[in-house]
Amino acid sequence: MEHNGFLQEQKTLEGDLNSDTSHKSSVDFLMNWFRKRSIFVLAYGTGCGAIEMPPTFTSRYDAERLGIRGAATPRQADVIIVSGYCSYKTLRRIIRTYEQMSNPKYLLALGSCTVNGGMYWDSYNTIKKLEDYLPVDMYVNGCMPRPESILEGFIALQKEIGEGKASSWQKYEENYEFYRKNQEAVLGEKVEPSYDADWYLYDGGL
Amino acid sequence: MIVIDLFLMLLVAYAVGFLYYGLYRNITARFQRRFGPPVWQSFIDSVKFFFKEESTSHGWMFYLGPIIMMSGAIMTLFFIPFFSSGDSFSGLSAYGNLFLVLYLLVLGPLGNALGVGTAGNPFGVMGVTRGLTRLFAMELPFYIAVIAIMSLSGSADIATIASGQTTFNAFAYPLLFIGALFSFIGMMGQAPFDVVGAPVEVYSGPASEFSGKFLALLMSQSAIFTFAKLVLMVHLFLGGASGFLELLLKTFVLFILVISFGSLYGRFKTPQSVDFLLKVPTTIAVVGLILATWS
Amino acid sequence: METMMFKQIKSHFATDDVEVKRNDLYKVGVRHERLFELIHMLRDEYDYKTLNAITCTDWIEEGHFALTYMLTTEDRKHTFMIQTMINREDAHIKSFSHEFKQAEIMERDLHEMYGIDFQGNKNLKELSLENWVHTPPLRREFDTLEFVNNNLTFREGRDDNIDTKVESKRLRALKKAEKEAAKKAKEAAAAETVKDEEVKDGK
Repeated sequence: MEHNGFLQEQKTLEGDLNSDTSHKSSVDFLMNWFRKRSIFVLAYGTGCGAIEMPPTFTSRYDAERLGIRGAATPRQADVIIVSGYCSYKTLRRIIRTYEQMSNPKYLLALGSCTVNGGMYWDSYNTIKKLEDYLPVDMYVNGCMPRPESILEGFIALQKEIGEGKASSWQKYEENYEFYRKNQEAVLGEKVEPSYDADWYLYDGGL
Repeated sequence: MIVIDLFLMLLVAYAVGFLYYGLYRNITARFQRRFGPPVWQSFIDSVKFFFKEESTSHGWMFYLGPIIMMSGAIMTLFFIPFFSSGDSFSGLSAYGNLFLVLYLLVLGPLGNALGVGTAGNPFGVMGVTRGLTRLFAMELPFYIAVIAIMSLSGSADIATIASGQTTFNAFAYPLLFIGALFSFIGMMGQAPFDVVGAPVEVYSGPASEFSGKFLALLMSQSAIFTFAKLVLMVHLFLGGASGFLELLLKTFVLFILVISFGSLYGRFKTPQSVDFLLKVPTTIAVVGLILATWS
Repeated sequence: METMMFKQIKSHFATDDVEVKRNDLYKVGVRHERLFELIHMLRDEYDYKTLNAITCTDWIEEGHFALTYMLTTEDRKHTFMIQTMINREDAHIKSFSHEFKQAEIMERDLHEMYGIDFQGNKNLKELSLENWVHTPPLRREFDTLEFVNNNLTFREGRDDNIDTKVESKRLRALKKAEKEAAKKAKEAAAAETVKDEEVKDGK
């Protein structure tokens, strides 16, 4: 992708709430309508941005009126929120969780740490650009974005789902070698975290 | 024609069950000083899960689990007549009575246990063992109350019990009603007896490995089963119903009563709930039984 | 009480580095061979029963690590800091995990971040870093910026480093000016057609 500085970056980072809709067929329209009206968010706070998730989902800035509620397991979730910085340790677990979710799945990235490293730009243990490792649907700017910003991000994500443009899971499946190469460059040959019963009980575990 | 009758019963149970769940979310939201989702939100949730693709497969019993639960829910619904007299919406109640319905009520947790056990997810197994333990304690006060009602009405046919009440059984034999109500709160999955599917504790227990269409089946069967149990309680204790409006009103009042309990109380642990259910409601139901059948 | 304690420490351990930092915080520096003796003496005779923390400072210019052990009394009213110096290359010291259980995880943390070998600690595994094969990161010879620039990539397109607020305002003003120009052109064209029609009618 060619980058000519600021303009190109703003276009890829901003969700546009004023564009016109486009859908392929009526069955697709119906499916996307149902998908955007009911969003299950995995209850997994990956970074310090998770502090803004409880106010968004509870009484003060009620996100349930948009149809958004929490899900307990990755198998039941549609959206995973990467809220903040990803250290290497967290990135391993996020990748495994993301691959456990069933299609169609969306990824919402909060904060400036996912865009370009944010406050931890010179840290030896965090990644700087989340797009190299996992496909992102919508960025929400801020450090941390306030609940109003998160709600606006959800509304923009709903609009994109309704138009059929939020297809990051397809991008992950088609370009899997690219993502895997980047993941291995940072995490080593074995990207999956090593927890099984033997490791936990006998090799010392935690 | 009986087939149209059955189909309409299923449709009504599906629609009203999901409507009640949506109302439940709205009412709980108002308790918590916020506006909730639109009333048809649960329906949209279940339809969305039909459009999800699957990612796992754990063998044929994993597929069979939700199917057993769904068939259990539908069979229970068919054997409970909606109205206390008349032929419309009576389903198959001419061929089975209250004993059969009580047996069919167990098919829910049983199908759950069979399906979840094959997945191998430890949280699922944990949730299922809790569910079966709780079921064993929950059935006792409910069966005592129901059998008392059966012997007092002199019949095991639900329509006869419903139409034979001059005053509602809930007011004529209040202790029996209270004993059965405790179990009913647990059957509806409300606090304080909702330890089975606790999302925060045990990662939603039995539902933790199901994704996509299985989850849609689980949610649909939950809606249908809820409506069937509500209609059963209305016929046993609240005098049945002779029209749609009366049926919807009575089930709604009972539903509101149950979820008000649920949103106010905390959650019992499994041994605590078994302990409580085997002591307090059982004693109340036995005392009610003795008082009612003494003379 | 404290003067007696200091006199005993000064005479017994042959050190002058005794300091009273606050009325409840004392500090002493001692050689690492006598460290165990001093901590045992404080724990047995003077009631400093709890190990609060073990921290480390990297003095790269002088070539040693300064380890600090912080002990607290049982009534939590006084704290004692004990400093020792150990060599930077091949850093090792005897472990405290047999006497104070909490020392196990503190020493594990220092081992991971500084590379100090605590002899006798059975659980020196990794704590917050996973599969780390480079130099221990809190040492001052580890240049984090160079490490980041070598191993990780940033997002392109920010080399022009424009201030986003200024640039957004400029772009918005440009768009508005374009719109107004387009509107004026349309009005001018409409006025022209009206004039043409008038001329035609007049004719």
